[in-house]
Amino acid sequence: MEPHSPGTDQIQTLFGIGFVAFAIVAVVVNGALIYTLRRRRTGRGAQPADTEPRTGRPQLRVGAALGVFAAAILVLSLVFTEKAREAPATGPAGLQAKGSAPLTIIATGQQWLWRYEYPNGAFSYYKLVVPVDTEVELELGSTDVIHTWNVPSLAGKRDAVPGKVHEVSFRADEEGSYTGRAATLSGAAYAAMGTEVEAVSPEEYESYVKQLDADIQAAQDEVVSQIESGETP
Amino acid sequence: MSASAKRPEIVVDGFPRSRPRWAELASSGDHKDIGRIMIAGALGFLFVALVELLLMRLQLAVPENTFLSPETFNRMLSLYGTTAIFLFALPLAFGLFYYLAPLQIGARGTALPRLGQLGLWLWVAAATVLYAGFLFTPSEAGINPLAPLSGLAFLSSNGVDAWAAATGLATLGFILLAIDLTTTLRRMRAPGMAWRRLPVFAWATAIGSWLMLVIGPVLLAAITMLLIDRNFDGIFFADGSGGAPLLWQHLSWIFFTGAYMLVMIAAFGAICEIVPSLVGRPLEGRATVIGSLIAIAVIGTLAWIQNMFTAPIGIGWMYFAMTMALALIVPFGLIAYNLITTIAGGAVRMRAPLLFAAGAVSAISVGLAAEISHSMVGLAWKLKNTTDATGATHFALVGGAVFGGFAALHYWFPKMTGRTMGESLARISFWTMVLGAALAFVPLLFSGTYEGEVIDAYKFFGDSGMSAYNLIASIGALVLAAGIVMTLVNAILSREGGPEAGHDPWGGDSLEWFALSPPEPHNFDVLPDVRSEHPMRDIRAAIAHRTARKPERPAPESQPVA
Repeated sequence: MEPHSPGTDQIQTLFGIGFVAFAIVAVVVNGALIYTLRRRRTGRGAQPADTEPRTGRPQLRVGAALGVFAAAILVLSLVFTEKAREAPATGPAGLQAKGSAPLTIIATGQQWLWRYEYPNGAFSYYKLVVPVDTEVELELGSTDVIHTWNVPSLAGKRDAVPGKVHEVSFRADEEGSYTGRAATLSGAAYAAMGTEVEAVSPEEYESYVKQLDADIQAAQDEVVSQIESGETP
Repeated sequence: MSASAKRPEIVVDGFPRSRPRWAELASSGDHKDIGRIMIAGALGFLFVALVELLLMRLQLAVPENTFLSPETFNRMLSLYGTTAIFLFALPLAFGLFYYLAPLQIGARGTALPRLGQLGLWLWVAAATVLYAGFLFTPSEAGINPLAPLSGLAFLSSNGVDAWAAATGLATLGFILLAIDLTTTLRRMRAPGMAWRRLPVFAWATAIGSWLMLVIGPVLLAAITMLLIDRNFDGIFFADGSGGAPLLWQHLSWIFFTGAYMLVMIAAFGAICEIVPSLVGRPLEGRATVIGSLIAIAVIGTLAWIQNMFTAPIGIGWMYFAMTMALALIVPFGLIAYNLITTIAGGAVRMRAPLLFAAGAVSAISVGLAAEISHSMVGLAWKLKNTTDATGATHFALVGGAVFGGFAALHYWFPKMTGRTMGESLARISFWTMVLGAALAFVPLLFSGTYEGEVIDAYKFFGDSGMSAYNLIASIGALVLAAGIVMTLVNAILSREGGPEAGHDPWGGDSLEWFALSPPEPHNFDVLPDVRSEHPMRDIRAAIAHRTARKPERPAPESQPVA
């Protein structure tokens, strides 16, 4: 769950803001509630109840203070959400693609697997291999129901909806393996639907996709030759 | 009631044939009978929902458990959510609205009693359809069956159709009750009962009913489209042929978000009656609280896109939803502020209704504070559809519907039955529930935040670091269920065996305490002229003035004024 992409760094900052807001609200409300209930309890020399509401108009001031609190959270979330949305530029150690275009990979959700299609036409299931320090853009789609692509270390969750293309981009800052689980109920085997993103050096990536393409080509040739020689029905 | 000698004497041929009690109840148009059946039914379905929750928590007690098959788990999940919302939380709110609002405004009944009766029986039909579905195959599509998973291609059994029929019937029932209630509140208020003098719970009734009139038809439309898609080759939610899977999400989330707000409005309506009564002073900032309840209904429902932050929709829509959701801090904060300042100037009688009301405010505050994080778009990309969302929503809704509902039950039980619920069992039940809720939902917040545990999954894996959290949550759910069952047992035992309560056990300020306990079928023999928002206090003062005694709280006898 450690952030390993510029976007998830920003999300981690937002988490800190959200946690502070949570703590303030929960502590202030519960603290004041328990304190007043105990202090005004009958039987321990308590004062009699005031019969009329208090005079003066504190409502407007309290409302304004709450409004300022809400506005502060709103502004902070807007700022850091915008930062989290920025496409992360490829770094010096990354794969230098043609121009400044990101490495685009088509990710298709289906019950209950992810299929990744690389720019050279090679494809893999479950596991995605990407070059480190490189801007990767996933084009999420689905062939059946809605799936949520979710690798928390690299990017926020995004839904793969049939008939739509939904982009998400990230830049893995370190070589390694990042896992995640699909996050929208998609049927019986939903709980087992996961994915793994492996970040490797650009050279390893290049040779991996080349090898993958060659393997797929070889397998297809093998099938074609078997059909032509009449071995397979 | 002696007839004057000048009136002709009316002779009846014997007494009307008496019918069995159940037939009287079932065919009654009396809002109190309808309300009582609905409240009792809702509490019964709370027990059913608990059983389903415990089965799921048992499955999730240990990693990679095989206690339930994935299909069975998904059926339990679908039934649990539907039961908790459509058969427990909403009918409990509407049952209380329907029983109490006419009494609170000094009406002798409702404006359209047969409509209310139809509403009740549509709801009963909904429950029957949902659980008749259980005999064959319930839905496996979850609490909100998202298209296209809910389509015929992916779930070909009739469970989704049964779900759609059941929620549709229940929603139609709530709409009819809401029509009756809005009409009653508009047309049948006692002399002098101006809108500004309406008790807060009657305001909550009006706001909740209007909200249902807005959101209910939206769900009915969505369900109609779903049934057409599934049974008549429709394309409303199909991609590529002019339809859109996201259409279902918009329509259904408008309803579910509004329903969430409705539960909050009903809970705070009840709490704002209970707290002033039990601390012996009027509510601070009455007008602000009522305005806040209206704001929650409007702004809260407009935040429906908060549930769609990971969907492929424009970022502007998400910022709009975030603005609406964060704006809710103001009305909720103002209600909490006014409740606490009311207590701060009062003399607290720590009886069961106040205990549960305080528990409700506490749990709701934790739940809504955690929801702030889900309103922040970027952070929602991390937290959405994790058990952090489950934990936050459960804190708010269990706080509102269960703690708040039980506060209302303890507070108005004497009015409905003439008897008080057992105080010591109520205390044991309350503290068991507090412990259970903390153990059941706090670990979910942690597991979702730090381990990213996803929702609705029938299993988790042992190497994920979620094992301890889930085990504690399962134990907590068991403790919570035990606490809830204690209050249900308390209600059953106290119905006939509880101590006699009298007509005004808490010294309430609104007119339901002017009626007998339980009220006569026509509610009131005579009605007072309402002169302020505190009619019962005026009546006590009038009695004190006439008898030249100091007013007592609670008033010993509250009948002969007017």
